[in-house]
Amino acid sequence: MEHPILFISLILQSLGMPVPHGPVGDTLLAKLVSPHMTYTWLVMLFLIIVPKLTLGKMSLVPGKGQNFWEVVIGGLEGFMADNMGKEGARMMFPMLATFALYILVANMIGLMPGFMSPTSNLNITLACTLIVFFTTHILGIKFHGIGYIKHFLGPIPWLIPLMLPIELISHFARILSLSIRLFGNIMAKETLLGILFMLAGAYFAPLPILCLGVFVSIVQALVFLLLSILYFSAAMEHAH
Amino acid sequence: MADNRKDTLRLLAQFSTVGMSVAFSIFIGVGIGYYLDHKVFDGRTSPWLTLIFLGFGVAAAFKNLYDMASRKDL
Repeated sequence: MEHPILFISLILQSLGMPVPHGPVGDTLLAKLVSPHMTYTWLVMLFLIIVPKLTLGKMSLVPGKGQNFWEVVIGGLEGFMADNMGKEGARMMFPMLATFALYILVANMIGLMPGFMSPTSNLNITLACTLIVFFTTHILGIKFHGIGYIKHFLGPIPWLIPLMLPIELISHFARILSLSIRLFGNIMAKETLLGILFMLAGAYFAPLPILCLGVFVSIVQALVFLLLSILYFSAAMEHAH
Repeated sequence: MADNRKDTLRLLAQFSTVGMSVAFSIFIGVGIGYYLDHKVFDGRTSPWLTLIFLGFGVAAAFKNLYDMASRKDL
C-alpha cells in the first residue's frame, strides 16, 4: 500500500470491520469497507453537504457562497454548450456536471495526507467510463433509431465487412483509453507522493509533486468531461 | 490552426487520445481474435482468427489516425 495512514480505514478497523490490506477484499463486507469505497462515500458526502452549507438561502442578489456555485455551474454549462450545443448541454448537464465535480474532488482529495483518491482504483474509473459508453449508444439510438447503425458502417457499401469490425474495435478502445488515462494519471500521482513522503517527507520533497498534482487533477477531470461531451455529440450528430 | 484558447484545449484533449487509441485498438483486436480462437472454436482455427483480428485492430488504429489527420477544422 502506498498510503500507510488512511484515517477512515483506521476508524473502521478499530470498530472491528474487516478492512482489506490489498486493493480489494474477499467478502462483500470487506469489499464495502475497502478504501476506495469509503473515500468515494466521503467525496459524495462532501459534494452533498458542502453546497448545502455554503448556499444557504437562495436569493436574487447572491451572497458569497451562492456566487461561487453560480460561477462553477455557469462555467460548466457554458463549456458544454460550446461543445455540444444548447439543447444537448441542457439534456446531459446533470450527468456530466456530476462526473466533472466528482472526479475533480476525488482527484484533489488524494493530495491531503490521510486521504486517498478513489479514482486511483481502476474499478472506479471503469465504472464511470462504462456509464459514459452505454449512455453514448443509448443517446445514438434515441436520436437516430435503427439508423444509428449507419455510424458503424462507413460511407461505402461494399466495404461494410471491413468497416464494421474496425468501428466496433475503435469504440471499445474508447472504454480502455478513457478509463486507463484517468486511473493511470491519478495512480501515478498517488504512488509518487507516497514514495516521496516516505523517503524525504521532512525535507518537503513532495512539494513540487503536490503542485503538479493539483494541475493533473484539474486537467484529468476536464479531459474526462471533454471527451465524454465529444462522444455524446458524435453519437447525436448524423453519420457522414 | 485554432486561434483561441478554448479550441486549443479541446484539440489537445482530442489529440492526446491518439497514442492510446492506437495501442488499445491493436490489443483489443488481438484479444477478440484470441478469444474466438481458443474459447469459441477450441483452438481448431488457431492461429488464423488471431492474425485476422490483429489486422482489423491495426486497421482500426490507422483509421483513427487517418480521421484525425483529415479533419476539416484544423
